[in-house]
Amino acid sequence: MVSRLWGRRSCGKGIFAVLDGQKSPLPVSRFEANLLRIVRFFFRQVPAEEALPLLRSSQTRPKCLSAAAVHLVGDALAKGCVLYLVRAGGWRRDRFLRDGEPKDGRLWERSPIDELALGFSPHSLEFLIWLTVTKGEMTPVWQVPAEELTIGDRLLLFIAYEAIREERDIATALRRSSSFSEHPLILLLNPNDFCGSSLPDSVSFAEWTIGQGSLIVEALQRLLEVRWLESERSKGQVGDWDQLRQQGEMEWTLLDRFAQAASGSCRWDLFRFLLGVLGKLLVSPNMSPTFWTGGLQGGGPPRLADRLETQRSALSVLRQADRLRQWERRARTSGFLDEDYAASKFWLSEWERMVGTQSTTRAVQIVQMVEPLHNSATPDGMTL
Amino acid sequence: MSRAYRITVKESLRKDLSASDEVCSCLEILEILPPEQMAELLRDELEKRGFEAEAEMLVRRDNGLTVTVDPRTGDISVKAETSDSVDLKAERDDWGYDDIGPGEGVIRQRAQEQLKQDLERRAGQQQARLQTEATEKLEGHLDDIRRELGKAVNRVTAEALKRKAASLGQIKEMTEDPESGSLTIKVEV
Repeated sequence: MVSRLWGRRSCGKGIFAVLDGQKSPLPVSRFEANLLRIVRFFFRQVPAEEALPLLRSSQTRPKCLSAAAVHLVGDALAKGCVLYLVRAGGWRRDRFLRDGEPKDGRLWERSPIDELALGFSPHSLEFLIWLTVTKGEMTPVWQVPAEELTIGDRLLLFIAYEAIREERDIATALRRSSSFSEHPLILLLNPNDFCGSSLPDSVSFAEWTIGQGSLIVEALQRLLEVRWLESERSKGQVGDWDQLRQQGEMEWTLLDRFAQAASGSCRWDLFRFLLGVLGKLLVSPNMSPTFWTGGLQGGGPPRLADRLETQRSALSVLRQADRLRQWERRARTSGFLDEDYAASKFWLSEWERMVGTQSTTRAVQIVQMVEPLHNSATPDGMTL
Repeated sequence: MSRAYRITVKESLRKDLSASDEVCSCLEILEILPPEQMAELLRDELEKRGFEAEAEMLVRRDNGLTVTVDPRTGDISVKAETSDSVDLKAERDDWGYDDIGPGEGVIRQRAQEQLKQDLERRAGQQQARLQTEATEKLEGHLDDIRRELGKAVNRVTAEALKRKAASLGQIKEMTEDPESGSLTIKVEV
């Protein structure tokens, strides 16, 4: 995987930074050394104790960066992004669709190298400079129109947020920027961080289900599964009715948009992580909605409509089971001569492997338990 | 020598209060026949149960409870409404002094504001009571409505199965147990 970076050149001196394989160290200024330390912290090459004080302190912005610094930043991004995606899941031998056909192998074996090359715009460097200059509360806010960011830029923002999301003050400051609060991948991995605000219609997952965006999502499948599973298992400890409702509403909107984008791009395989979540979550046939709502304190809102809304929102992930079953039914009707036959067979094989029928049936049953008008005496018992 | 004087302030509040609660859901109707025919069967069945057509919807109103069904989609809404009028009055006496302290105008204004706040608070309590009534009315009837709609859906499904069976061939035998809701149809194709 290769990354390219376009940046500015100027002079700089003072501190030396070493590039892997470089015979002599490259001179960089104190500011540039701090910037590099922050970048390498994002890729877990520098401990947090060294980088966080730099993020919380302000530094004077130089007139420009040296050519050496720009070169080193580019190198850090090139290697760091590759390492991040490989560690996240790109190293796994897995199967994903390529042009409607399942393809086996590791991430770099499934796609040709030139398709994996990420490009970074000057915005990436500007973001890193802003982080290094600005003090902890990070004003003024750094943000750039989404259409000006490349996939590489967005990956950097995502990795940066992942690195600092546990630092409440810094994460809160970053969330004030639309480049973070409307970043689809950041939202999908961290829906709870953005509860309470409505999702703008402009947030779309379309570019994350095609091209390089889809390759990144492939690498993040395991992380997606782990995060959503953790979130579901912790809902039973949420005591506030409003908080649980807002969390569920955000989750529903995000999953709905991502599923629509995946379906539109014929990439059901990118939504596969949710099958994994349901399979691991619904291991017992005797689960009830109290697994998700049992922590709610007090009687809740006075209106039944509002209490019901919270209970339904708590099951937002389970409510995706209907969509998954629709995909499964569609896949079963695909014929040998249909264009999506190979993709449908692939989806069905994954469905069987991940016990899709069992887990989605249990999910539907649990969702029906909160419906006060659901009648258990459905026509299922009719025989012809 | 200072002299005290009494200021009496009266306020009243007249308000129409209303409260409502609502549950929305969807009937699970199997598409045994084409959607238009299933909708027609559902419409016929619900009209037998006291629902009236209002535009494309079927509505039944009973003692503050409104059940609305869209036979085309199966969407259902059950709404409970309560309303009341409140006519609240309050009176308050305050004392002022003619040498030192706030003047009569200030005392009167403060007293009026406090009375208004008190009346609004009492109206709020009435509103909360009305809301509780609406919610309890809704909760109290949901089970009955659920059972009734379940029976309606079963009747619609049974009728649809009969029509479907008749379209497949000659019905040789048909047994129906109204108690258990089971229906067995033998068709010669």
